[in-house]
Amino acid sequence: MYTPPLRALIDELGRLPGIGPKSAQRIAFHLLKVPIEDALRLSDAIVSVKERTTLCARCFNVAEGGELCDVCADDRREATTLCVVEDPRDIVAVERTQQFRGRYHALQGALNPLEGIGPEQLRIKELLVRIEEEGITEVILCTNPNLEGEATAMYLARLLNPFGVTVTRIASGLPVGGDLEYADELTLGRALEGRRLVEP
Amino acid sequence: MSLLHLYLQDFRLFVAARFDPDPVGTTVITGPNGTGKTTLLEAVAYLGTQRSFRGAPREAMIRAGGERAVIRAELVRDGLPLLVEAELAAVGKSRAQVNRQAVRTRRDLADAVPVTIFSPEDLGIVQGGPARRRDLLDDALRMLDPKAGAVLDEVERVLRQRAALLRQAGGHLRPDVASTLEVWDDRLADAGGALAEARQNLTEDLEPRVVESYRILAGAGPAVSSVADATSVGVTYRRGWDGPLAVALSAARADDLRRAVSTVGPHRDDLDLELGGRDARVQASQGEQRCLALALRLAVHRLATERLGAAPILLLDDVFSELDPDRSRALVHELPPGQTLLTTAVPLPDGVSVATVFDVRSITGGQQNPRPL
Repeated sequence: MYTPPLRALIDELGRLPGIGPKSAQRIAFHLLKVPIEDALRLSDAIVSVKERTTLCARCFNVAEGGELCDVCADDRREATTLCVVEDPRDIVAVERTQQFRGRYHALQGALNPLEGIGPEQLRIKELLVRIEEEGITEVILCTNPNLEGEATAMYLARLLNPFGVTVTRIASGLPVGGDLEYADELTLGRALEGRRLVEP
Repeated sequence: MSLLHLYLQDFRLFVAARFDPDPVGTTVITGPNGTGKTTLLEAVAYLGTQRSFRGAPREAMIRAGGERAVIRAELVRDGLPLLVEAELAAVGKSRAQVNRQAVRTRRDLADAVPVTIFSPEDLGIVQGGPARRRDLLDDALRMLDPKAGAVLDEVERVLRQRAALLRQAGGHLRPDVASTLEVWDDRLADAGGALAEARQNLTEDLEPRVVESYRILAGAGPAVSSVADATSVGVTYRRGWDGPLAVALSAARADDLRRAVSTVGPHRDDLDLELGGRDARVQASQGEQRCLALALRLAVHRLATERLGAAPILLLDDVFSELDPDRSRALVHELPPGQTLLTTAVPLPDGVSVATVFDVRSITGGQQNPRPL
């Protein structure tokens, strides 16, 4: 039905996250139609991201060519506050808030025995080294608010306890600008639990 | 909550059919075996639960040769009309709508069409393993307590993570295993303790209602057994541990590691059922067991009616099997208020008066065409 190169392309595309067999076929046929320059630009982009993008030696954010990432290289960032996230893409999310001026540490995942991820597979040893070497005073645990993220946060909180640093966990609650009636019971329940005193 | 009209299209043996039950009282659905009595209940139950209470896969509910089945129900809730529609597809997605709005979660459907189901398989609640009894409690919790569903999901997920970790440990408590196991144990202790607590409270709420329902059913006839106080019913939630779950988990750790399973937790708990001081699971007669299973379902139904402020639709499948005429009469006459659909393959016992008797053969074959979604 397909020529071997087309079959190979569909198979490769189908292995990408969020792309099923139908989408893979549609993208493949689309690529067949585009000018060769466009296809080359795409393939170059893929090759160069693989060749030139590395993980930051300090925080495991994405970085270029074995250097420190932009955040670690920036001297204006507070050096004593560390925000621990699961993935570099979570750093992008936190950066967009423009609320955080410290540095990051990307664990490269969360504890998940079902997927074979234990503490050894995460950048936890490196985190502990940084606490001492960089004189960190506060660690913000910014893992996902799901079971695995919570377990990871709890695990880290225990590990960090002897270091005498302040350990905080991000709050869970309602999306800003949303309506209470559309919130799911669980989120609303958590928001109620985490209610705060209103200063008159 | 009242079902006015049910329309079926390509649902099991129904090509196109319409069913109008008694809107407030009891409708007895009669007809020989294999004519679609239980299928009518199955369709109503599907709207509330999105699954077959007979445990059938979705494809099995689609008429042979059909591509999709449609169930459409017109109901009244708090005086307002409610239209609930479900489409079951052999391939691709099955859909559901409430008042022409797509439904986001299963819970939305359960709120729109709350149902209580009793079927012959429910004998397994009394006779079968502890999982059947835990399911009875957990289904009730999901219906009555919005937070319970999340707790149940969390317990299940923590148990899976913990099991994976125990398997990977291969029986050895290495330091890295120990430190992560502690984290999962913490989660299990929190969520599992909360679940056991919720089940315990539910059991305490249910017990007087089980006693009452059983008394109505079993007290009707001659003495149920030779034991003097045979109708005394005991319902007790039994945890597999004493004290805080966290302590029990750490005590069981060596055993858990060796066997690579979680030996303590809410997934090992049970609901003890007693009749006249004896274990109902092994020492009661089949008729007594069936009465008790029905009493448990009716107890959940009564509790739900009080908590939700309206009676769920009560679906009783083949309920007269193994009930003697006295108990059948008692059941029908003492049914809780609200709409009830009841199927029977045998004639109604003498002295049972029901306003609406519906012979399913009158619609098998069908006259009406429900509009597709």
